[in-house]
Amino acid sequence: MASKSSSEETLVKTATSARRESREWLWSLIAGVVILAVIGLVPLSGDQASLSLWTFIVMYCVLAQSWNFIGGFAGYAAFGNVVFFGIGAYAVALVMQANGSFWMGLLAGVVVAALFALLLGLPVLRLRGHYFAIATLGVAEAVGQFIQSKNVGATAGEISLTPPNLSYQLTNTLFFYGFLALSLLTLVATVWLSRSRFGYALVAIRENERAAESLGIATYWYKVGAFVLSAAPTAIAGGLFAYWQLSFDPTGEGGAFDVNISVAMVLMTFLGGAGTILGPILGAIIIEYLSQYTAIAYPGIHGPLLGALIILVTIFLPQGLIRVVKELVRSPAGVKQSYQTRFREGVRRVARFTASNGI
Amino acid sequence: MSHASPRPMESSASSDTTPALLELEHVTKRFGGLPAVDDLSFAVREGEVLGIIGPNGAGKSTVIGLIGGAIAPTSGSVRFAGRDVGRLSPHQRAHLGIARTFQITQPFVGLDVRENVIVGALFNGKGMSRAEAMRVADEVLERTHLAAKARLKGDELTVADCKRLEMARALAMQPRLLLLDEVMAGLVPSEVELAVRLIREINHSGVTVVVIEHIMKAIQGVSDRVLVMHFGRKIAEGSPQDVLSNQRVIEAYLGERYARMRRESAADTGLAPSDTMASGEGEDA
Repeated sequence: MASKSSSEETLVKTATSARRESREWLWSLIAGVVILAVIGLVPLSGDQASLSLWTFIVMYCVLAQSWNFIGGFAGYAAFGNVVFFGIGAYAVALVMQANGSFWMGLLAGVVVAALFALLLGLPVLRLRGHYFAIATLGVAEAVGQFIQSKNVGATAGEISLTPPNLSYQLTNTLFFYGFLALSLLTLVATVWLSRSRFGYALVAIRENERAAESLGIATYWYKVGAFVLSAAPTAIAGGLFAYWQLSFDPTGEGGAFDVNISVAMVLMTFLGGAGTILGPILGAIIIEYLSQYTAIAYPGIHGPLLGALIILVTIFLPQGLIRVVKELVRSPAGVKQSYQTRFREGVRRVARFTASNGI
Repeated sequence: MSHASPRPMESSASSDTTPALLELEHVTKRFGGLPAVDDLSFAVREGEVLGIIGPNGAGKSTVIGLIGGAIAPTSGSVRFAGRDVGRLSPHQRAHLGIARTFQITQPFVGLDVRENVIVGALFNGKGMSRAEAMRVADEVLERTHLAAKARLKGDELTVADCKRLEMARALAMQPRLLLLDEVMAGLVPSEVELAVRLIREINHSGVTVVVIEHIMKAIQGVSDRVLVMHFGRKIAEGSPQDVLSNQRVIEAYLGERYARMRRESAADTGLAPSDTMASGEGEDA
């Protein structure tokens, strides 16, 4: 009888520890704010080259964070999210060419991109897996080609805008902080999402759509919602990009509808950790930094180097860096361990799961 | 082993006058040309436990799909609480109070057990807050003996725990009608006994239950009424004792030759070669 009561006691203990809510979201939020705050110090250096590099990095943070809503939380591999970026960019360009203000352009971009996501989502979110990925990829390419062939905004869509009436340095600093504020806003939105009913629905859809539907989740509408949510910040980033760069093409390398931007969003999110709060930010920093660094240091082979990175990530870290960190710090429930033991155990777990992924 | 004996009629059993909570009328479902369910009609009264049995491929799981909304009927009507639900999607039916489990368990593998159950509570259409949903989930985890495993991930569970998680998640929806699709298949006898007890408790708390099962012993212990399906059709319906001694049922389950042998040997001398029929002993036709 004594053994029974003691086993009941441990049972109650585990149950209580399970009941205590995980604070992971809070730590992620704090870490995210700290990372962005540190990046915010970059303009103090006064170096224009590194300011430009970090503006791109923060822009990609926003893009990866936005992709995370549909690709990470809902688990729908959207391969054409650059279309919202392009819409944001061309909205700013067209509004400003019609003598509207930059802010009106941004607003127009968000509204049009959200509507476009809704109208596009209604048919394509009935597709699953590869079919969904292919459909979204096709749409992004089509819109870019349309703008080019119909001379939207300019001949072949090659936009050129008048710069703002400010010094070159101040302008660049302002755009840097614009992207940084947007990234912070998206971070807060991600934290809110991860704790909301909406977020639970998306995760349930990702983990098992059939079960989610049977448990009362209106799966289709939640997916459409995630797609729209993912489009809005992407469009703002596109609008900022347009006024920051002043001249850009619709398609091709560096264009506003460049398919590489879509690929980058996916890759960054997966490297960091899809469906996590911090993953997209980490992934964007690492990949964009490496990409620009190798482009300068090893100009001939920077493409192959990045390709090799993609291969390594998909083989060994399909669940991203955040998973590695989590495995390192995770302690088995209810067992007291010294930090050394915990760390050793953590390293062992990480070694095991990377190896099992690799083989 | 008391659960093997037929359930006494007075325990929460509903009388014939109780209105039907669920009614299927002439429901047919064809996949291609073959009918998986063929002109099936039956009703489930509020508060009762209906068992549905039948050999492999009899159409039992299709019936669950038809009631839960994952499968649309080719013809016929499905009524729930007086309302035609035949065209509603699964999530709309879930909001009305229909919960189901899956024969092939469908956990959210990346989530832990508790989070799995919270999802069940969050989306039942009652607009629970997260805090309320967590409270409901913890309560359900205790009831289903999963509290100690609350932190395990959906893919770290044994078969028995997976089946229990299916039930826990459905229970967290606080349904009026619970559809259980072979929640006892693959369990060892002691786990079956636990599951039977749990189903009874659920029923006593006021939930109407439809149990689909292979194991006759289990279904006999838990059902007020039993319906037998064969090739998509209903071949018998009634109290467990009557149905399990029905000649057509024995033929469908064990083949005509075995049925003949049974008729000829009057004794209950361990004739049953299959465990599915083990509890049918001593109730000779």
